[in-house]
Amino acid sequence: MSDVQRYLLAVDPDKTKASIIAKGTAEKLESKNTTLIEVVQSLGEYINEEDATIRARTIVYLSEVIGQLSPTFLSRQQIQILCQFLCARIEDGGAVDGLRKLQGLGRFNTEMAVTTFRAMLEHFQDLQIRPQSQRLQILELLNDLMSNHRNGLKGLGDESIVGITDLVSGEKDPRNLMVIFSILKVIMVEWDISGHAETLFDSIFCYFPITFRPPPDDPYGITAQDLKSRLRDCVAASSFFAPYAFPQLIDKLDSTSPNVKKDVLQTITACASSYSLTTVSNYSVTLWESIKFEILNVQEEDLAEEALTSLQAIAIRLSRGLDSTDPKTPLARYLRPIMKECNEQLHEPQQKQAKPAGQILSALGIASPVAFYLIVKTVVPPLNTLYQDADSIGKQRALLEVLVQLLDSAVAVYGTPSIPAPTTTTENALEPFKDRLFELSSQALMSTAADEVSFRVVALKALLRLCVLRKYLQDNEIGMAVQYFDEIVLVEDPSGKDDLKKEAIRALVEISRIKPNLIMDITFPAFMSKLPDFSLAENQDYLITLEGLAQLSVEKFVSDTLIRRLLHRLDVVLQNDGSSAYPRAILSTLHYVLSQRDLPHDSNLGSYHEKIVVGLISRVVLASTGEAPTTALNEEATLEILGRLATMIVRALEDHKQNSVAIQVYSLFADEGTFTPVPFRKDTPKLQRSTMILSTALMAGVGRSVALQYTDSDNASIQRLLAELVRLALIEDVPAIRQAILRQIGLLTNKFLPSQETRDVTDYLRNIVSGLLGTATMTENAVRVVFWEAKGLILRLAHTDDVLERLLCLLSSPGCGLVSARGFSLLLAPDEVLCKENGASIRLLANQKVFNICVPRIAKEFRTAETSIKPNYLIALSGILKHMPTKVVMPEVDTLLPLLLQSVDLEDSNVKAATIQTLAVISQESPKAVEGHMGSLVTRLLKSASNSKATTASVRHNALRCLRIFPGRVKDSTLLSYRNAVTRGLLVALDDPKRQVRKEAVECRAAWFNMDEPQSD
Amino acid sequence: MSEILNANPTIRNASDLPSRRRQDTTQSLSKTPKGLFASTVPASAYLPDPFSPHSLDSDLSEDDDNEIEPIDEQEIYDLISPISDPEHPLTLGSLSVVNLPDIHLTPTFPEKGAASPLTTLTVLITPTITHCSLATVIGLGVRVRLEQALPPRFRVDVRIKEGTHSTAEQVNRQLGDKERVAAALENGTLVGVLRKMLEGCESGAA
Repeated sequence: MSDVQRYLLAVDPDKTKASIIAKGTAEKLESKNTTLIEVVQSLGEYINEEDATIRARTIVYLSEVIGQLSPTFLSRQQIQILCQFLCARIEDGGAVDGLRKLQGLGRFNTEMAVTTFRAMLEHFQDLQIRPQSQRLQILELLNDLMSNHRNGLKGLGDESIVGITDLVSGEKDPRNLMVIFSILKVIMVEWDISGHAETLFDSIFCYFPITFRPPPDDPYGITAQDLKSRLRDCVAASSFFAPYAFPQLIDKLDSTSPNVKKDVLQTITACASSYSLTTVSNYSVTLWESIKFEILNVQEEDLAEEALTSLQAIAIRLSRGLDSTDPKTPLARYLRPIMKECNEQLHEPQQKQAKPAGQILSALGIASPVAFYLIVKTVVPPLNTLYQDADSIGKQRALLEVLVQLLDSAVAVYGTPSIPAPTTTTENALEPFKDRLFELSSQALMSTAADEVSFRVVALKALLRLCVLRKYLQDNEIGMAVQYFDEIVLVEDPSGKDDLKKEAIRALVEISRIKPNLIMDITFPAFMSKLPDFSLAENQDYLITLEGLAQLSVEKFVSDTLIRRLLHRLDVVLQNDGSSAYPRAILSTLHYVLSQRDLPHDSNLGSYHEKIVVGLISRVVLASTGEAPTTALNEEATLEILGRLATMIVRALEDHKQNSVAIQVYSLFADEGTFTPVPFRKDTPKLQRSTMILSTALMAGVGRSVALQYTDSDNASIQRLLAELVRLALIEDVPAIRQAILRQIGLLTNKFLPSQETRDVTDYLRNIVSGLLGTATMTENAVRVVFWEAKGLILRLAHTDDVLERLLCLLSSPGCGLVSARGFSLLLAPDEVLCKENGASIRLLANQKVFNICVPRIAKEFRTAETSIKPNYLIALSGILKHMPTKVVMPEVDTLLPLLLQSVDLEDSNVKAATIQTLAVISQESPKAVEGHMGSLVTRLLKSASNSKATTASVRHNALRCLRIFPGRVKDSTLLSYRNAVTRGLLVALDDPKRQVRKEAVECRAAWFNMDEPQSD
Repeated sequence: MSEILNANPTIRNASDLPSRRRQDTTQSLSKTPKGLFASTVPASAYLPDPFSPHSLDSDLSEDDDNEIEPIDEQEIYDLISPISDPEHPLTLGSLSVVNLPDIHLTPTFPEKGAASPLTTLTVLITPTITHCSLATVIGLGVRVRLEQALPPRFRVDVRIKEGTHSTAEQVNRQLGDKERVAAALENGTLVGVLRKMLEGCESGAA
């Protein structure tokens, strides 16, 4: 049996087996066990078979054999013979594939390519009646010939142009069109198409605009955008198309579909960028006349943007290679009618079309230095006159806005000192107007009535742009502007001019990037002198000054000085009595400035450590023992901020320095005789106990591997310290100090405790819990300790089941059930001390685990619990859900919903608020889940929203927000039956005493009103 | 819409429109000093202790909760100024079709004093041009918005400001006539236009 016979028998049931047979034939050929002639001859009896399928399969066999041969095996002659053979049989399936393989071989020459091409033209006149996959194969053969044997086809000239356009006409399949567009683009760009421009153009433009929408889950992944871009490349491929393209595109701009318009504008942009200069010039004014409507009568912002881009593209094309400002260049001729129209629009600067006119001028000004020159020469003088003659501030503002737009293009064209633009020989046309513009914007900013905020903001923007424009203002002029900005921030009455002050600070920040010396010399002293030496309770203007300084410290040079000066100022302020708000603000500012620095690599880190951590902390400690006078630093609120600052610095220290901090966590850099650490001591006065806040901060900052004070290498030393901290926490009644000790407990159990000791601590925890359950006289502090310890353990996933088990037991206790329930919200709450940055071990799965253990337990026990303790379960649940990622909650929605609905009814407004928030998230994420509960949800939410006596404003607000989520997400048919009840029920909320709640009620009501009505058009 | 009646109207800058923020700054500044950039001097991030049953809401404390903020002219203005013009993608506020001084709230029965909460609201509309045929539609839009957004104790009266429209009287009669308003709201095309006008109120309210 011959190979071909075997192949034909095998191919139907098993394609792979058939391929192996073809491969076998190829191997025989290569090893000279058979010859090509023999193989071809063996096809003889099948190739003339009546049945087309058999003929086709025979050719496929041959093609497969060719494909399996090594690329250099076939001689030129053999290729020639095969090529002719396949071309003769081209209509039989498989031949095209064989030809694709042949043409890829190195010995396939131009002549053969032409033969193949002609065979295609001859046999495939009826291409469109073939199935899509065959057409694609044929087109791919053509595409291969175009890429591998382009010169051969190009040599055919007109024959190939006409042939190919005929061949591909009428195609509708997107996959095939993708190939066709790229074939045609090659012809358009590389062939001489002068005689066939219209034919070629028509062959592609008939597809414009593309309205194709890919079917859902389209396996080929061709988008409308792919087709649009390829088609656009074709339209833009040759200037010969201009006489057909531009009129037709302009015509299609009248379309009512925004998508079509957008496509048209993008195509115009592409054409303008690639057609020849003369061609674009010929159509430039016509295009402007048609496109301007889209900008001046803006209906949709993004279309106006596209239109501006088109106008700009024309100007860029006409500017290419141009450095003459002569009025007869194509660019000048294009700009003239545009500038005329825009100038006219600017006569009525407050009317709607003035703003787009400014946008047009700005977009064109960016096109090139020459374009900018021409525009400034024509537009700025009349703009200046109009400004002088303007009879209202409103008009002046509108004109200034246009000026700002022009200055934006100036910055784009000429750059700033830090971002220079490409060099140009064209002089900056703004040069002659320098003095006038500086004067005009300075006056507008500084000599206008103070309450004309929006006008002054625009003036400030103009002045800033003048300052940053490269090679424009002198340093002394920029210095003047800096003084104006300083004055606005520092001197002007603060009420109502936040916008202006903000802009002024931003302007100073921007100038500090290009002229840091001006900021150092002018702004810095001015700001520093505004900072008082005393802390005055009622005057807090220093806040804005401090903020300004903090914002300005972007440059390292500036911020170094600032840190030094602020520390000095803090020292002075502390020596005078007064409110602690001011020293706190200084510390916060330091915190902000340092947080902007890369502390671990900061060369000054050592000095910050000495001055802030060691210096200020020692000061606190000395004062606490009476060795020095107490200052505002000793207040708890100040200590907290100092602590944060210390944590940040200690975190950045090297290991050996951290070690030395760690062994002084409690002695706080004080000599042994002067200060006795708080732990292991009785009856410590409050002033000294408050240093625990600083201990917490240091403990948070050091790494987990250091040895803390009071812990040494022997086992259980950390547990000993832990026990002492528990003792201190239980008796502490100052909230801030207690919180600090609790945090230390959390840090110890989470960060410092070795894993082999977690078991012991869990047992210890269990004992406290048993104690709590046993006694009737429970202390809130004990519950706090339990939960903080539990938090530390759970976050590192140590004995989580066991720990949570204990905590859940507490819920049913009549004594401490309620307090414990509240504690659940602590477990997963993010904490600024117990956090990843401070080296805490926070496992990703902690959330999931807490959820999986607690929720089923709570759901189960809730059912059988006594009425009086039921709320405890709901409160605990709301606490757990508060910090739970949505994706963890969603799978259990069905279990949760009944519980959540009941907890909306609870009195506790925190629980209520948290629950409503959870319900809102659930409704947003999975509207289907709430569908079945719509009735009770609506009733409860309406009740919570309407009762302004019993609920807080934020609960009412959240309830309304949740209620607003349903329309559009939940099926209308479900909602309709509640619609009247809701819109009527909301009438109460519309009269809520709180404005914020009313606003939400209005929006909620509108959403329910609008939900179902079908669009009537 | 076949042809645009007023293609190039005068526009007010958004920052120049009356807003509550500017009126309030003087008061709030004295109460809680706040800087310009919230991030620079952050408030203490220490979480409140969840164990103590005090309110966790810091922005709405108990004292504030008892304070009543009555519905005032500015609030009415905020309700209707974001309505978009049927011709332009611009708001009635920025086109000065509705203006704060043209909104009046008066007790319906002043002689009864505080005993009667009924309030009459009068809104005067200024069309952009005197022959604007869309004045009725705009008036209707304002009316519908206010009726949806105000509690029932408000009597809403929307009219054209005197001397700003050629057929003001006719339009006023149309807007004042409950039955004609109701009939107009049965008209599908008109409802479509109104819905489009009111779209801006929802997103713009944030």
